[in-house]
Amino acid sequence: MNRLTLYRTLVVLILVALPLLIAAAKVGDTAPEFTATTSNGKTVRLADYRGKYVVLEWHNNGCPYVGKHYNSGNMQRLQKQWTSQGVVWFTVLSSAPGKQGYVTASEENDYLAKEHAAPTAALLDPTGEIGHLYDAKTSPQMVVINPQGVVIYSGAIDDKPTTDLQDVQGATNYVTLALQQAMAGKPVQTAATRPYGCSVKYAD
Amino acid sequence: MRLGYLLLSFCRVVEVGAAALLLCATAARAAGAPIPHGTLEFVAENQWIAPGRTIHLGLHFQMEKGWHIYWTNPGDSGEPPRVKWQLPAAVTAGEIEWPTPRRLGTPTIVDYGYQDDVVLIVPLHVAAGFTTHGETRGTAQFGAEVKVLVCREMCIPGKAQLSLTLPVESQPPAPDAQTAELFAAARKAMPRPVPSSWGISVADAGDSFALTAKLGEHFAQASFFPLQESQIKNAAPQQFAAVPGGFRLTLQKSDQLLKPIARLKGVLVLAGNLGYIIDVPVTANKAVTARRDDGRSLAAAVFRPSSVIATPPLAR
Repeated sequence: MNRLTLYRTLVVLILVALPLLIAAAKVGDTAPEFTATTSNGKTVRLADYRGKYVVLEWHNNGCPYVGKHYNSGNMQRLQKQWTSQGVVWFTVLSSAPGKQGYVTASEENDYLAKEHAAPTAALLDPTGEIGHLYDAKTSPQMVVINPQGVVIYSGAIDDKPTTDLQDVQGATNYVTLALQQAMAGKPVQTAATRPYGCSVKYAD
Repeated sequence: MRLGYLLLSFCRVVEVGAAALLLCATAARAAGAPIPHGTLEFVAENQWIAPGRTIHLGLHFQMEKGWHIYWTNPGDSGEPPRVKWQLPAAVTAGEIEWPTPRRLGTPTIVDYGYQDDVVLIVPLHVAAGFTTHGETRGTAQFGAEVKVLVCREMCIPGKAQLSLTLPVESQPPAPDAQTAELFAAARKAMPRPVPSSWGISVADAGDSFALTAKLGEHFAQASFFPLQESQIKNAAPQQFAAVPGGFRLTLQKSDQLLKPIARLKGVLVLAGNLGYIIDVPVTANKAVTARRDDGRSLAAAVFRPSSVIATPPLAR
């Protein structure tokens, strides 16, 4: 193998391995930058929201754990409660085309209308790029970013990792706690938990 | 479920004479209850219950091809089956005896569980004071409400209500061959204690745990299944390195592990899917932490696991 070919091979290997080498964002890290298209066709960049709290909510409408929070109205309540306080709430759809949970823009808009959901926007992430940046493993999975652009919470939506509707009430909601504590200028007490739910359906 | 109930009724109605025993024996396995993409059978290892004894029941999950359920630590996603027992007075259920799990999922989302067919054995401890009386004298009824998540591409939660009736006997009757075989296979699939000649130690190496196994024999591969969630990064490759007398496995710590742990528990699986129960104290390893500081080539640094590399976001 001549030098040029060797060099090219190495470059290809490094580029292929790069997604595995770059650490996905953890609590305390600067939230990785991304650009996404919303279900309304707009382009948004995380950087545009510096100065605000941002919540990322990984979603899959076929997952019974997501269903628990939507059928109970819990997720919609949280979205309304926090967006009315100036928090930016993004529902993120990272299922790959052909995989369970993949939705087109109009399908997502129909879903949002039917469920009376109220995120700031639904972000279409069919390549899974945003999902991988934030190490999204399950739906639901929640990430909270503070106005300085730092990840202050990543993990489960609450402490009841079940599909039972009755477990919504009385559960400790980690997103609510993180936002309340951070907004009060206090450290987030529970900053990282194991997210529960169905696996995110990335491309093979 | 219906058939099982019918058998139960039969058992109770025909209560006198030797014939009763024979009919009751056919209810050793309550008919399978439907669960999503499978059935769940409640099986008694042996047709008896007696005061002061431990008996074993089995939850036999049979799933359609490709569908799976989860281990006690489900891994990155999923949920293990949960059982709510309805037991007679003076009977208590022990913990589920989990067979050696398999690695499921994808390279980036790793779960632990069982595909196709698995039996979860549960010991039931019968106190010395156990008695039966009245209408149901001579028999004991057991119920289990089982909630289970069954997944393939989709995840579907299921619930089954199972019941079983066992006669009070002073001696265990001979088990039927099919049931004996089922339990024997289930026990074979369970992780076993580490042989006394082996030495297993775990050291805290900063961003990882170093599990060293001195076995006195050669194994080409091994993988570790953590018993508890949020200790090990499930999707991180477990670097395997041969050391004199055995091997060392490097287990990346979970992002959710915020405090040191005193012990590491789990199952070490060697070639042939042989599982060994691991429960060892975690020690600080000064030698390993010193080695991390020495000079390394750029190539080695680039190809090390991601958690030690601080990278700015890629320019887009």
